[in-house]
Amino acid sequence: MANNRWGYPDLGFGIGLRSVHYEHILANRPKIDWFEILSENYLDTGGRPLSILDQVAERYPVVLHGVSMSVGSIDPVNVDYLNKLKALGKRINARWISDHLCWTGVSGMNTHDLLPMPYTDESLRHTANRVRQIQEILERPIALENPSTYLEFSGSTWNESDFLVELAKQADCGILLDVNNVYVSSFNHGFSAEKYIDGIPADRVVQIHLAGHTHKGTHILDTHSDYVIDTVWNLYRYTYQRIGAVSTLLEWDASIPEFDIVHAEALKAKAHREAAAQPELEEVAAYGD
Amino acid sequence: MATDLASLQRWMQECIQQPGECDEGMVTQARQIVKPSATLESEERLDIYRGMYLMRMQEALETDYPGLAKFLGPDEFFRLVSRYVDLHPSRSYTLNRLGDHLPVFLETISDIKKPEFCRELARLELLLTQVFDEAETPALTAEQIAAVPQDAWERVRLRPIAAFRLAAFDYPVSQYLGAVDEENAFPQIRRRKTWVAGYRRNYGVHRLDLTGPAFELLTLLVEGKALGDALTSVRTSQTRLFQWFREWVSEGLFRAVELEDGT
Repeated sequence: MANNRWGYPDLGFGIGLRSVHYEHILANRPKIDWFEILSENYLDTGGRPLSILDQVAERYPVVLHGVSMSVGSIDPVNVDYLNKLKALGKRINARWISDHLCWTGVSGMNTHDLLPMPYTDESLRHTANRVRQIQEILERPIALENPSTYLEFSGSTWNESDFLVELAKQADCGILLDVNNVYVSSFNHGFSAEKYIDGIPADRVVQIHLAGHTHKGTHILDTHSDYVIDTVWNLYRYTYQRIGAVSTLLEWDASIPEFDIVHAEALKAKAHREAAAQPELEEVAAYGD
Repeated sequence: MATDLASLQRWMQECIQQPGECDEGMVTQARQIVKPSATLESEERLDIYRGMYLMRMQEALETDYPGLAKFLGPDEFFRLVSRYVDLHPSRSYTLNRLGDHLPVFLETISDIKKPEFCRELARLELLLTQVFDEAETPALTAEQIAAVPQDAWERVRLRPIAAFRLAAFDYPVSQYLGAVDEENAFPQIRRRKTWVAGYRRNYGVHRLDLTGPAFELLTLLVEGKALGDALTSVRTSQTRLFQWFREWVSEGLFRAVELEDGT
């Protein structure tokens, strides 16, 4: 049963499709609910990645997750990119398309980083217009992910959670709630992760991300290079209690271990969700910790 | 300093792409524009993005140029990446084509180890990335070959698969890549002519080291010369010729065999 306004289903517990796991997936056809792909890796190529993706999409639901939509950039939207993204989505029957609340470059350049937005009225108007334009080209609503950020602009007049929600309302788009990113940014900027999640309306949330990160002492980097830490699992349970069952994806993009380890980490989300659904077990688990 | 969206984005991108340490002007502006955190100054927060930019570019280029990265070593390769992306920043939604200008860029610099070898190695590695991404075209089948009448072979034109490239080099760069992949020993880095075909079979990218005459013949065929005409330009024995063709067909280098009348 979907809680979001577009009726996007709860696909269960998925992982990112990564090239190191291609052979394992095709040979063993693991029992996994769904895959998310990094869209840009499958555009402009007629080689192995696309062939693998076609085979994966025949057997599993697939979602497109991109890093180059650059929704907040002052540059014009890249229509060529969006048309290719749309075609890829159709080709593999992508359940939905997502990207990030960020900008990646200006003046025709791309830093290939998810750069932070200043959260101002001007940014909000500008980004909402662009997201509407993007959705018109793609002919479907998109979901925007809250990014991990390492700086805040002095001129920001909104907090990120309120900005994201208002943007989603104005552009009528979905939210991909990255629980790890909420934690990372809450540490980096000193806000309450729980309050952030309290502000997110359940009917906008299409998907949840979970990942590991790297603690540098003075700040946390969103590296997707490790297991999910307990604090983030607790935040995931909190999110489930607030928002309900939403398609959940485990990201692991650096120092990627073998498929079964990544899959097992994703399945921990299922156990956490079940525990969160039964508060009395939650208590036992808490004492057990 | 103006803090509208356009000004902020241009400023931040300029800071990220500027190589070297944060200069005094950047520090002053960062303190006006970026909030400090409980643990980091404004410029330190900006520096996180600056550091990650070059690391990301290095990682992308190392994926496409593993041989060059190995030859130069991490420090010199990082310096090369820094200079290269300063002149050729990414202008695409994908990092896959970030390195397209690297061989040309290498022609403009000489203050790296063995610059001529580096240029040639980069040319081969770029060629292989192009082969990786080309469209998939099915290779000739044994049935298609058997269907060509014996007396028609002189007049046929062989069309290569899309994922096929030919190149001549002034150094043993294919052998060097073979050594990086632990297929053979590292060659002496000495100037000598070598010839390579890069192609894809079963979605895997391969290199085929060629002799001069084999390269010459393949070049003529790729240019669309009829087989008979191409053979008059290349001096080789019939035995050798049959060996080449057996290898080329079994490696799936051709997608079509056409008679001069277009059939």
